[in-house]
Amino acid sequence: MERLELKHIFSWLHDLLVSTGLGEPWLSVVTYLMLGAMMFGALSVIALFLVWWERKISAHVQQRFGPMRNGWHGWYQTIMDAIKLLQKEDVRVTNRDKFVFFWAPVICFVAAFLAYIVIPFGDGLIVADFNIGILYIMAVTTFTIISLLMAGWGSNNKYALLGGMRSAAQMVSYEIPMVASILVVIVYSGSLSMVDIVESQSGMIFNWFIFKLPFGPIAFITYIIAATAEANRVPFDLPEAEHELVAGFNIEYSGMKFAMFFLAEFVNMFTVSAIAVTLFFGGWNGWLLPSWLWFLGKTLLVVLLLMLFRWSYPRLRVDQLMEFAWKFLVPLTFANLLVGAAFKYLGWYW
Amino acid sequence: MIDYVSALSIDFGLIVPEITVLVTSFVVMMLACSKKVSSWSSTVTLVGYVLALWFTTRQWGHQGSGFADMVTCDNFGIVFKAIFIVASIIVVFLGHRYLRVKGLHRGEYYALMLVSTLGMMVMANSSDLIVLFLGLEIMSVPLYVMAGMYRRSLESNEAGIKYFFMGAFSTAFLLLGIAFIFGASGTTNLRSIVTDFSYIANSFPVYLYAGVALILIGFGFKVGTVPFHTWVPDVYQGAPTPVTAFFSVAPKAAGFAALLRVFVYGFSEVTILSDVFWVLAVLTMTVGNLLALRQDNVKRMLAYSSISHAGYILVALVVGGADAVAAAIFYLVAYTMFNLGGFGVVTLLETRSGCKSEFNELRGLSKTNPYLTATLALFMFALSGFPPTVGFIGKFYIFSAAMQSGFVWLTVIGVMNSFVSVYYYLRVIKTSFFDEAEGTPVPAVLSPTIIIALVITAVGTLGLGLFPQQLLQLSQAAIFGMP
Amino acid sequence: MSEYLAVLLFAVAGIGIVLITFGISRLLRPHNPYPEKNVTYECAEETVGPSWIQFNNRFYIFALIFVIFDVEAIFLFPWAVAFGQLGLFALVEVTLFLMILFFGLFYAWKKGVLKWV
Repeated sequence: MERLELKHIFSWLHDLLVSTGLGEPWLSVVTYLMLGAMMFGALSVIALFLVWWERKISAHVQQRFGPMRNGWHGWYQTIMDAIKLLQKEDVRVTNRDKFVFFWAPVICFVAAFLAYIVIPFGDGLIVADFNIGILYIMAVTTFTIISLLMAGWGSNNKYALLGGMRSAAQMVSYEIPMVASILVVIVYSGSLSMVDIVESQSGMIFNWFIFKLPFGPIAFITYIIAATAEANRVPFDLPEAEHELVAGFNIEYSGMKFAMFFLAEFVNMFTVSAIAVTLFFGGWNGWLLPSWLWFLGKTLLVVLLLMLFRWSYPRLRVDQLMEFAWKFLVPLTFANLLVGAAFKYLGWYW
Repeated sequence: MIDYVSALSIDFGLIVPEITVLVTSFVVMMLACSKKVSSWSSTVTLVGYVLALWFTTRQWGHQGSGFADMVTCDNFGIVFKAIFIVASIIVVFLGHRYLRVKGLHRGEYYALMLVSTLGMMVMANSSDLIVLFLGLEIMSVPLYVMAGMYRRSLESNEAGIKYFFMGAFSTAFLLLGIAFIFGASGTTNLRSIVTDFSYIANSFPVYLYAGVALILIGFGFKVGTVPFHTWVPDVYQGAPTPVTAFFSVAPKAAGFAALLRVFVYGFSEVTILSDVFWVLAVLTMTVGNLLALRQDNVKRMLAYSSISHAGYILVALVVGGADAVAAAIFYLVAYTMFNLGGFGVVTLLETRSGCKSEFNELRGLSKTNPYLTATLALFMFALSGFPPTVGFIGKFYIFSAAMQSGFVWLTVIGVMNSFVSVYYYLRVIKTSFFDEAEGTPVPAVLSPTIIIALVITAVGTLGLGLFPQQLLQLSQAAIFGMP
Repeated sequence: MSEYLAVLLFAVAGIGIVLITFGISRLLRPHNPYPEKNVTYECAEETVGPSWIQFNNRFYIFALIFVIFDVEAIFLFPWAVAFGQLGLFALVEVTLFLMILFFGLFYAWKKGVLKWV
């Protein structure tokens, strides 16, 4: 008997919709909209879990307990937090730019959300397998920069503006090494489609690109550094540096608008980890267990890595941050790209 | 594996001069990074140019095309490449002292000049509209920076910004024109356009004519024809003088190379073009000359004079055909010589402190610098087209080509314009020879580099005027080799 | 129906859900604004002047360098995909291409452009 997997639920849903007698254009529309709603639900659960997990990890790193009151080890603490945020008053600064201020959190979340169209959660568990998959992710996640600039500008607050500008400069700078690290993988996979990338790593564990590429670990480490910066996380969280910019670009936001930025940050963290798993750790490839469980497990491990980063390293200064990107990461990643391509041409890989 | 090298006929032998210039520009840019060696940049630039010139002359007579038929190597392109390189070499000599005095002598200047020359060479060699556009951009972007290089001078900043906006606009026109042509013909290759011309003209006449008109406007801006000339005086006056000298010669020659290639070769069967060019030529000559009459600044006067000279060269485009193209090439070589000479003297005079090239600063020059004044007079005679200078021969060939094809009125207007221009060129001579200076005039200090530049241009102006035969044969051998 | 329709529909779903949560929160939350609450937050200091002012142009210089490298990245994506079929020529071409760009980066570095001040 076949194992029950998530994709069976999808096909069951699809059959259900077909049985209602919908015509073709509307069938796809309703399917995608439902998938979008489901994805939102899944992402909310993941984000709530990640917030709780982060608090527990930070607590244990600092030899505390963290949330303990609400349920077993405080497991529904973040759910309560979310409900609290829902009831918070929406304080709006008088001299804000109304339009920009309102749409910044929306764009921030949607930019993070759109990437999930091409994230392969498991064998066949992908909303749409674009043949430009990874390029598409790079393209849509860049909208985050715009939303942070919008938040910084729209708040009409000096801290926010500084935070927005810093985040734009930082994300823009770290996008280059990120792209270069991804390109090495693409040289070997020969395709931009996320599914193709995962499938070209099937089989043994040594087919995972982190082992297969000539300098796979370098590509992975540069990717994860750039990704940390892209997700605006410590040690690269200057845009919201608490002690100098108070809260950076989201200083004037409260209630659900703030929650959207918060949600987008954790969704972004999950996105970059999922990309790392897809590109370097064989995606859903694994043994015995269902593929989506492998993917989720690996992704959570990468997320754990990012969280440990956060609680191990101090925050960088802004000038160190930029110089590290342009003077170290950019030359290194492009050298790695050329060496990777040369090894591919010479056939020096298995 | 696909053999791309032979599939696209990639032949680096065709672009050796371009590669030389490119590599030199990199070397110069790297030199500019270090304070210790940045003073070598002019020497390295010269070596690069001389090497490129040598490689260019080695290409003479070798026909060839490559890079998916986008680059054509023929005598026409080679002559133009030689013009650009020679003009650049003269400008390097001519600007050296000026840049030192004004504190602009930096490696970046030479690197930009090299890249700009590279763009011109790409333009002259292109047989595809896209490569032509690429060359035009490579040429123009460094020029915008060069115009605004003198950052402490407001006029220079103004020149940079104006040139940038005008250049960007004109490029947009050009690109839109290319897009229309591509829409009409499905190709950007000039050779295919020539082959399929009757089909294109019958099927998509509107797109074709719109495209041709827009391309003409784009190049019209670049070479400064009236009514697209408004940027010329301000940019020429504001930019540092050696840069102005470079502007007035090299990009103009490149623009004409492209104009000749596109309109005389590519769209030769668009018959209305001759009438359009007739109007443009007459307007450009006349307006340039009439406005030059009223200038009190020598640089501005030379700017308007360069507009009118563009008008004379446009006559060759009206006429079309082999003789006219040869005459245009001859005129461009001649113009390079005497115009650079004229700007050379102006550059030298501007190294005196506080000098802005006003006419009254020329007073009493013959007392302090008699030989320099004599050279200046020679260039002014050449600009106005007196024998025995090359200016006369150049105009003679152009107008005789026009007469032979029956453009009598055009010739008459051209000759009348030449007479008008004598007034303002002779005004320079009159001021410097016969007007008394107020107070004691400051003598201009000659430097070896500028003497070299002036000697090259003076010898060129006189020598080519006395013995034009060689150059004429050269330019006749240089009409399109495109099969 | 193109599968890229998914992008549009996901964007619609995303925006819709966010707006719905905003709406729900509007029903639940208190609404009690007064002028002091709505002033710009600057750690309890009075703000001086607007923050829509000109400042540090460093960002634009980095943005310029970024644009160059990003355009380059767009060239490199198709190259990387097709590299398996292109062979040595493509490798040499891209090496030259990157070298030209890194000349520029090195120049900017030496000129002190990459310093954030």
